[in-house]
Amino acid sequence: MRAEDREKFAKRTLSHARADQTEVAIYAENAALTRFTHQDVHQNVASQDVVVSVRAIVDGRTGVASANRTDDASIADLVARATELARLAPRDPALPELPAGGPTTAPAGAYASATAEAGADLRAQICDTYFRIAERDGLWCAGYAKTIASGVTVANTNGALASYDGTFAGTNVKMNAADSTGFAEACAADVGSIDATAVGETAARKARETRAPRSVEPGAWTVILEAPAFAELLSYISDHFSAQAYDEGSSFCTGGLGTALLGDNVTIREDYAHPLVLGMPFDFEGAPTERLALVENGIVRSVVTDSYWAHKLDMPNTGHALPAPNAYGPQPRAIVVSPGSRTTEELIASTERGLLVSRLWYVRTVDQRKAIVTGMTRDGTYLIENGRLAGGVRNMRFNHSIVEALKRCEFGLDLHRSSNEHYSVVTPAIKIEGFTFSSGTEF
Amino acid sequence: MSFDDLASRALDTASARGGAYADIRFDVARTERIEVRNGVVASLADGTSTGYGIRALVDGAWGFAAGSEMTDGAVDAVAARAVALARAAAAIARTPLGAPPPRAYVDAFATPMDRDPADVPLGERVALLLEAERLLHVGDGIAVGRAWLDLWRTDKFFYSTIGSKIAQQIRQTGSGLAAMAVGDGDAQTRSFPGDNGLYMSGGWEIVERAALRENAARIGEEALALLRAPQCPSGTTDIVLGGSQVSLQIHESCGHPAELDRVMGWEANFSGTSFLEIAQLDVLKYGSDKVTIEIDNTMPNGMATCAYDDEGTRSGRSDVVRDGVLVGYESSNDTARAIGRESNACVRAQSWEFVPMIRMCNLNLLPGDVPFENLFDDVKDGVYMESNRSWSIDDRRLNFQFGCEIGWEIKNGKRGRMLKNPTYAGMTPKFWNACDAIGDAASWVAWGTPNCGKGEPMQVGRTTQASSPARFRGVEVGVGYAR
Repeated sequence: MRAEDREKFAKRTLSHARADQTEVAIYAENAALTRFTHQDVHQNVASQDVVVSVRAIVDGRTGVASANRTDDASIADLVARATELARLAPRDPALPELPAGGPTTAPAGAYASATAEAGADLRAQICDTYFRIAERDGLWCAGYAKTIASGVTVANTNGALASYDGTFAGTNVKMNAADSTGFAEACAADVGSIDATAVGETAARKARETRAPRSVEPGAWTVILEAPAFAELLSYISDHFSAQAYDEGSSFCTGGLGTALLGDNVTIREDYAHPLVLGMPFDFEGAPTERLALVENGIVRSVVTDSYWAHKLDMPNTGHALPAPNAYGPQPRAIVVSPGSRTTEELIASTERGLLVSRLWYVRTVDQRKAIVTGMTRDGTYLIENGRLAGGVRNMRFNHSIVEALKRCEFGLDLHRSSNEHYSVVTPAIKIEGFTFSSGTEF
Repeated sequence: MSFDDLASRALDTASARGGAYADIRFDVARTERIEVRNGVVASLADGTSTGYGIRALVDGAWGFAAGSEMTDGAVDAVAARAVALARAAAAIARTPLGAPPPRAYVDAFATPMDRDPADVPLGERVALLLEAERLLHVGDGIAVGRAWLDLWRTDKFFYSTIGSKIAQQIRQTGSGLAAMAVGDGDAQTRSFPGDNGLYMSGGWEIVERAALRENAARIGEEALALLRAPQCPSGTTDIVLGGSQVSLQIHESCGHPAELDRVMGWEANFSGTSFLEIAQLDVLKYGSDKVTIEIDNTMPNGMATCAYDDEGTRSGRSDVVRDGVLVGYESSNDTARAIGRESNACVRAQSWEFVPMIRMCNLNLLPGDVPFENLFDDVKDGVYMESNRSWSIDDRRLNFQFGCEIGWEIKNGKRGRMLKNPTYAGMTPKFWNACDAIGDAASWVAWGTPNCGKGEPMQVGRTTQASSPARFRGVEVGVGYAR
């Protein structure tokens, strides 16, 4: 269901509204994925669905009901159910009006017909490219290729009406040797711009280069996280830039707006319109999303809001609501880190002894307020000696504060997109001094 | 049209298109979520989702397609798509992986319940959470109080071309609360019961068993006390883990590595592989003699309890670790056949739109014979930890690190002062071989995890790891904060 049809459907839904205020959000998705292991496809799947969610507000009381039926009778029932829930809910005296919306423009190229119309054969071609590279190098591979066409429409009785159609093509592959592995991934709105050969060759190269890994001692290391690894790390402070976390005290920057809390080379933006972001120009309340500096030259400049938290804290609504009902508060969804001036190769060349990390795994928060996280390296960890890569090392566990890392770091030059269909992080590589590894594993 | 009629049509279409085998699973799922946050109902939501997923087998390769439109034409199109996807997979496959299930069943199942949550007025449900959440606020330092309730009703109807026709009504219920205290640049959270709340299959009696109101004030007080508590020291010591933490330890370090699809590399690019390689079966000393871990998808109150899995295989009991030795895996038809065994019915799909895959189901550490209070008896110097707040393990499930919300010193067999930020770490087989005491049946709880992630597209699974508190010797603690 494309935007025009969703908007008609949204208006039809709102025609049933009997509450003080009513919002409808429509999510349509057509997704397909081919997954493989050992050069065989073990999952070839496709699904299609339309979900309708209605939020009704009656005298400061809110109810939300959702269903995946679109006939008239079902929609009337759904609106009535949300309204009935609202009438039964306790009153929230701080509840603001639903946003009135505003004009929004989707970034160019968000929707690609080639992705929306891609079939199983195209995904099989991508997989087969990996199979051939793996067999050439005596490796086995596992990964996927997927294509998604999705659309969101949000409308309410206060006049908001916003629609977005997007496509997402993603692939990744892990190449496996006897005692080493390599991984690479790519994503784009247009499946035609994915270079499966480059992805497969990168993963195979990492698997080859890190064969016969050695163990190195835990402790404080100079570490270079390649962009995908840094993106994974950074996503664990994304929620610190929520107005809810900031106000309630679970953010590292609580009370620190306008204060230098990170290194002066650190600038982090929330920017749905960045050329490398695959992003929606409005939030799940239909409010236009602002492009913001979260951190500028190390100084915390802003946190993101939705209608509830903007009203509560008397701040502007930046348009970062999640779908209702939302107990998690507003959240960033398009984080972009400004690059440095040296390439990853130059960062390696400037390192006397350190580790180059391709990918992180199972990162989890150890200490929320200090932003200490733990996790493992994975699928391509290298020793750096005298400015050169010196072979693979066995994987290591780290425990380190992201905030402390961002006080003493240098960024690489090239930006990389790590995205799924809902969330983007665009980062360069990062070099961190004194990054703490606490233990190693057996592979 | 009825599900019977639509199923018959879908299976006929799949067969006519060349499917050597096909099955269709209709799901009618209803979810209700209520969450109170700082005195306000932040979530009062009711969702329904209805649809069907069709699996088809062509030349040993599977295709899966799903749709929600309940018409003849739509069902035909989805069935044809499943066959086309299977054919496309077969075209590039090096070896055939799939085969039809060995047996068909005609049967029905319904989760036993004492009281259907639908019979509890909404006002009563909301009032319970409002009161429990209010009781968390025992001081100004409580910045966030939360109390929540989840009611899940799923009706499944499974049909296959070999004659299966299975109807199941599954009911799962969960509730919990949490308090976050903030002060002096620190934030400390306490949750109850366990860390997720109490999630089980069953009805309103599960909510009553959680006893939220009765425990809320204590949880709030513990959150505040943690702000002032000393830091858990770093070093090697004996530890006793509370039951819900043992449950997560089983989940991460046995449940996931014993998934046979992981062992066979089917999850290699995402969730990872496993150190429990097939060559280790009946050989590996996974844990001490006291450690027996079994699958029981028939147990009362298990989140994964049902009569048949989503491939139509009958549920039962089977061993994964017996007296410390690795003896089995969680399996599907295709993976079990590859090692010369039969499936133990561990296949689930999150909902109609997802392909069924191996999921951790009810995988339990059997109780020992030590009363909970006696687990401390032989500990001269150690730490007792409760309620997980951080969990991480490598992609073969060896090197792990967990953090808990709260700890207490153990000195000369007695629980002493409270400690904040307790963490512990280790390597899986070494850790389980250091288990020298497990709490008795009186302390054994069917802890449910409602949000286990796996697969691509990512699927959320609901699983139970029943466990008692347990004792482990010579464990590294305080890792997350050591410098």
